[in-house]
Amino acid sequence: MLKGVHQKLEHQQTPAFFVHGFSVLSRMVFFCALSIILMAVDAKLNYLSQIRQAFIGGLHPIERAANIPGELIRDSKKYFASHNQLVQENYILKQQAFENSVNLQRLNTLQAENEHLRSLLGGDIPIHPRAVLANISHTGRDPFRNVVIVNRGSQHNIQAGQAVVDAKGVLGQVTRVYPFSSEVTMITDKSLSIPVQVERNQLRAIAFGQSGNTLDIPYLPTNVDIEIGDKLVTSGLDGIYPAGLAVATVTKIDQDPETQFAKIISTPTAKVSHHLQLLILELPEYREAEKKPPSKETNKEEAKPDAKNS
Amino acid sequence: MQKTPNLLLVFGSLLFALLCQLFPWTGQGIVFRPDFMLVVLLYWLLRAPYLCNVGAAWLVGALVDLGAGSLLGQHALAFTLTAYVALSFQRRLVLFSETQVLAFTFSLLVLAKFTVLILKLLSGNEMPTWHYFWPAVTGILFWLVIKFILGAIAYPKSTEAN
Repeated sequence: MLKGVHQKLEHQQTPAFFVHGFSVLSRMVFFCALSIILMAVDAKLNYLSQIRQAFIGGLHPIERAANIPGELIRDSKKYFASHNQLVQENYILKQQAFENSVNLQRLNTLQAENEHLRSLLGGDIPIHPRAVLANISHTGRDPFRNVVIVNRGSQHNIQAGQAVVDAKGVLGQVTRVYPFSSEVTMITDKSLSIPVQVERNQLRAIAFGQSGNTLDIPYLPTNVDIEIGDKLVTSGLDGIYPAGLAVATVTKIDQDPETQFAKIISTPTAKVSHHLQLLILELPEYREAEKKPPSKETNKEEAKPDAKNS
Repeated sequence: MQKTPNLLLVFGSLLFALLCQLFPWTGQGIVFRPDFMLVVLLYWLLRAPYLCNVGAAWLVGALVDLGAGSLLGQHALAFTLTAYVALSFQRRLVLFSETQVLAFTFSLLVLAKFTVLILKLLSGNEMPTWHYFWPAVTGILFWLVIKFILGAIAYPKSTEAN
């Protein structure tokens, strides 16, 4: 009799509700360990950048689909822009173009003169980088980082490390490149630093990004010659940002004689958070490689005097 | 309950949440953006744990990480932990009232945010302002919407009875 009851019980199906396989705790431990390994691999090694690129590339159609409603709204807004507004904008732009054309005429002569003087002095002639126009498709989704995603990627010959500017000054740098998009980190992001110099007295420094859309300039002595309103421009020492681009204006100085360093805060000249378009500048190595294809011989020649000096 | 939710519905809704997550947000509204994927995931974790378990939570977290471009594994770890807490209380939810379930879900959303915050701080990020926790509040509003829509699709009879 008992056997029969047992058999009956065994034949009864257990409800799906109670079927779990591995316990929830063991699954949790396994997946937590997996996440920690992933984080370590992603932070220390570069294996995962290709996976990320492939994923973002594959996601492109979905992203485009998600973009459609926003684009429609933006386009219809443009379509219904009032006549007055357009006339006004046209007037301002014409005026700006006129002012710029006057400056441009002077720029050409000055540039020629500068290059001539530099060649007389035996200095290097500065290279003027070419720029690619890109549209911002959206801001970064990680609230901890100050990044934007633009619609130009490795398919458009964008490389990580390229400088990004707008009409007013330096915006940041390309940090990650995906097939159809790339990630631009703003100069106000904590992870970005940029070599600058004070326009007034050529003082060199490094500006670090800071929260609240400002730049911090640490490691300058308390008695440093810097004033509120001083303009900071790129020094060009890093070889990424061309020299002389506007970066920021000094807005706050705290020169406490008790401390070793002055606390200098500046705000970026570029409108870091009000943009739809920006310019991506070419990398210097890329330009040099394009200029002189047989670089092997020149490299050897250049290497020799260096060896002698050292 | 004749028509139970199937895997297709679970993954379909998660895909829709991914689409919402990828929707290009600009401007000030970004502060209020709820964690769409987490909310949909929690709905299924609490309603149908036999279809959607800790593994699914991990996968969803990894997708969020890839989409956001953050350190891979941060959201995966946070979602896994949240899923564990959710599942360990899941059987008791029958005894909870509507508001208690809502409060429980809200605390889960905060827990996920908090775990991500700790991981971000450990990897050298700055402490954000309290605006960081807005998505938990908007997330609970999104939860109500999701509960209404998915409830109507997956459990047509029970919602009619309500």
